Amino acid sequence: MLRLPRYIRILLGKELLDLSRDRKTLFTSILLPLTMLPLLGLVSLLLIAQQPVNVAIVDLDTSKYTDPQLGLTVDSHWLVGNLTHYLRSYGYNVSLAESLEVVRDPKVDVVVVIPPGFAENASSLDRIAHVTVYKKAGYQAASRAESLVYSVVSAFSYNLSRAKIAALLEIANVAASLQAIRNPVQALTELVSVVGERVSFEAELRSLFARILVLALSFVVTPAASYVIDGIIGERERKTIEFLMVSPAPLSHIIYAKMIAATILGIISAVFDAAGLVLYMFFMGLVYGIAIGIIVDYRLLVLHAVTAFFTILSTITIALPFITKTRGIRSASNIASIVTTAGLVFFFTGFLIDYIKLPPHILYPLYAIPYVHSILAIQAYVFEDPVRSVMHILLLALVSLALLIGATKTIDPEKLLVAPS
Amino acid sequence: MPRKVLVVDSVHKTYKGGVYAVRGVSFTVYEGEIYGLIGPNGAGKTTTLRMIAGLIKPSKGSITVDGVDAVREPFRARKLVGYLPEEAEVYSRLKGIEHLKFYAELYGVNNVDEVVEYGASLSGLGSRLYERAGNYSKGMKRRLLLAIVLMRKPRLALLDEPTSGLDVYASVHVREVIKKYVRETRSSVVLSSHNMLEVEYLCDRIGFMYNGRIILEGSPKSIIDEYGVDNLEEAFTKAIEEFRSA
Repeated sequence: MLRLPRYIRILLGKELLDLSRDRKTLFTSILLPLTMLPLLGLVSLLLIAQQPVNVAIVDLDTSKYTDPQLGLTVDSHWLVGNLTHYLRSYGYNVSLAESLEVVRDPKVDVVVVIPPGFAENASSLDRIAHVTVYKKAGYQAASRAESLVYSVVSAFSYNLSRAKIAALLEIANVAASLQAIRNPVQALTELVSVVGERVSFEAELRSLFARILVLALSFVVTPAASYVIDGIIGERERKTIEFLMVSPAPLSHIIYAKMIAATILGIISAVFDAAGLVLYMFFMGLVYGIAIGIIVDYRLLVLHAVTAFFTILSTITIALPFITKTRGIRSASNIASIVTTAGLVFFFTGFLIDYIKLPPHILYPLYAIPYVHSILAIQAYVFEDPVRSVMHILLLALVSLALLIGATKTIDPEKLLVAPS
Repeated sequence: MPRKVLVVDSVHKTYKGGVYAVRGVSFTVYEGEIYGLIGPNGAGKTTTLRMIAGLIKPSKGSITVDGVDAVREPFRARKLVGYLPEEAEVYSRLKGIEHLKFYAELYGVNNVDEVVEYGASLSGLGSRLYERAGNYSKGMKRRLLLAIVLMRKPRLALLDEPTSGLDVYASVHVREVIKKYVRETRSSVVLSSHNMLEVEYLCDRIGFMYNGRIILEGSPKSIIDEYGVDNLEEAFTKAIEEFRSA
């Protein structure tokens, strides 16, 4: 079993004891990642439900018309009825208005107008009936209501087209499938794995889960970086570092102990972050009726924790040589922010882009950046290439350790002791 | 002839831009001796103590602690040295007793429990040792830090302003601990102070530091006699005036 050198063990014990009593740090590293995403999901759901959206329907036709050729009747009230029913069932406030003046009412978010001649046009064989939707710009809930109106109109249109086809077939005395005329060409998607085996829709969700995990890496590196800054520059400012540095423990061991404590904090944060994500997916599962166990891949969570460990280590080792040369916590925090922002850029692109599909002439130079290995480790696993996933974890570990050794060699104890002027 | 525990020989420290902190300081401290480094702010006392403690490297010169070259082998020398920085602080979330245990383990003492017990008695903090150090007064923190330095009985203790900012009661306690410690262990102490009464009470010999140099050295009594004055403060003032005019 791996045994840490004596000095690191003792120093780490002190760091962890101190950390275990630091409620503020623990709160930000454990409770926030655990509660943030589920809270986001819950609050969004609750607020969406509470958000009033006012929809007005203006029926300027109010007529029923029967096409003489087809013998098909269309009533504008039918569409009004359908719209009212579905919009109300989704929680929207629906009112019926008499004129277009309602568009000027600031309280009304969406206005659906059924123009004169709607029923006649809709029932005919050579004209198209139009419905106009007025939507208040820049209002998200109005967009959702608009989308629902389009669905209802589309369903109304589909049923009407089926009735027209049926009437025409009857007149022509031709036997045909309604579907073959309505949709003669259809595209079907079959979800398959990398090796071509059929997979369910949940595989798509699993991939989304992995992408969110990549994005979540950016949230776990920040508290760890802050902890290291506080551990080194904070000790200088609190006047505890000199007493520590005069001990026989080499400076590198003092730094290693702080780094390990920070990465332990980061990994705890990562675990709770993932747990928060599981809770979030659970709430989403409740809403969309999907069993959470199907979406959540617990091996992926372990991979996320390991990746987070080395990602944090590489972040703080990149920042370390600069942090130790700064005058105070503020400038050290600025440097750490630059590094963590760079990480954020990569993790955000990892959420949007499949790095694993990038052509070699673009991907290979990116291998120099540790965060790219963090992204690839997770993406390779999702794309069912566990060997490549492990390879990127190992590369990330090697880069992190090389950076750690390099960073501790560049530290000047005198500069650490006395803030540079 | 008493054994030499510390030999500082022609030590210089120059910072970037040619700024001198210490210029050719030399002095020797013997076994069981308390040596006082005194001087105004910026005289080079703290830099000298930090160089002896192995925290910063001298630009020139040599430092030997109990026969160990402290410049070439700072980690070996550190085991022989205990250093109390002027502005040292405690870890606010750790208890006093946890400080003693942590430093005893860090210095690799043979019997941690015995050393911690000795440290606890040196601190005089009693049951307050089981409280978080963040709740301690400045005097209590200083007593704890002094106990940490002395509990493992280093051959040489370097105490930078050990009673700085303390009230009379705490200062008396700290002085008594230092005096008793040297008497019992025959260890040596180098201390810096602005308090001339303290220096006169504690130190066997003193070195007046001014502008990075030791301009006067001797026992408090011999210095007072040499200048024909009533106390060290007057002697110090005269020594600086003589140095300036020379």
